[in-house]
Amino acid sequence: MQKPLAPSPAPGTGPTPAKKPTRRCAEVCLELLCVECVRLFHDKQSGPAAAAALEAIGYRVGQQLVERYTRDKPLLGDTLEIIKFVCKDFWQALFKKQVDNLKTNHRGVYVLQDNGFRWLQRLAGPPPPGAGAGADPGREEAARQLALRYLHLPCGLVRGALGHLGVACTVEADPKQLPSCTFTVRIT
Amino acid sequence: MTIACVAFIGPQNNPMYLRSLEPASDDQYMKLHYVVHCSLDAVEEKVLLKRGPGDVQESYLGLLYPTEDYRVYGYLTNTHVKIIVLLDDEAPVKDDLVMRVMKRLHNLYVDTTSNPFHKFGMPISSPRFDAALESIVSVYPRPGGSVGGFKT
Repeated sequence: MQKPLAPSPAPGTGPTPAKKPTRRCAEVCLELLCVECVRLFHDKQSGPAAAAALEAIGYRVGQQLVERYTRDKPLLGDTLEIIKFVCKDFWQALFKKQVDNLKTNHRGVYVLQDNGFRWLQRLAGPPPPGAGAGADPGREEAARQLALRYLHLPCGLVRGALGHLGVACTVEADPKQLPSCTFTVRIT
Repeated sequence: MTIACVAFIGPQNNPMYLRSLEPASDDQYMKLHYVVHCSLDAVEEKVLLKRGPGDVQESYLGLLYPTEDYRVYGYLTNTHVKIIVLLDDEAPVKDDLVMRVMKRLHNLYVDTTSNPFHKFGMPISSPRFDAALESIVSVYPRPGGSVGGFKT
């Protein structure tokens, strides 16, 4: 996600001055920040507390981001439209792609599938099969647990975005096969 | 076109910011709060009305209702924040003029919420916000107008 750093010119201050080129931030900075954030919180606190803290950060950022991304859009109607907005515009702005698959059971559960979640791209996956019969499930499970650590922040982002648009929910992530990942949204 | 008052109401219908652009006593502030509060019903009505099949609802709601002193215009964001603007002169006003003001106010609100220290749901008390709001509104000058303040 590249965000311009220059502040927008103050509104209503006469003719706008010649536009300075907006400064942008390299994406690697965001990736490193996320990695360090996860490491910091997991070092300072035990598992669930760190997860809750990261999710809270994500929640807040999600609220603020969704204010900005819905600014020029017409009003979204029902829950399905809001979820579709998150799958398309919100995901596009954050992760440079849209959600690949959206499933629902029409009873308040939505499953968003992203085959190539951007923030997990750099995570080394489990070793290829053939390394040893017994080692594989253990290693895969360890890799999955590691990936889960990095998914608290995105879950918070989605929950914050949906919550701020009026859809109270819980979001769980499931890294089935890195880098593909599913997010399950349960409307409360 | 003279803007008498600008108000931001949060998603839970909590007043986040209300500012009178003319010097106002506490009683007058009460009255403004009352007018803005009543306009919330009008906002909901307008939203329900337009929700026909295949209808795209715009954020700008237009004239909500005229009172004896003011005309009340509304704007609803996707995050359920309402921006209410009270105009107090009789001259007919072009809708897109008010829409432009609303859009600028919305941009200002978005920039303010992007502040990491901003607390959602709490009243907005930021000098920069006040100054920017004044500069938006001052494009439509009112005779003898000055600053009024909203103290929570």
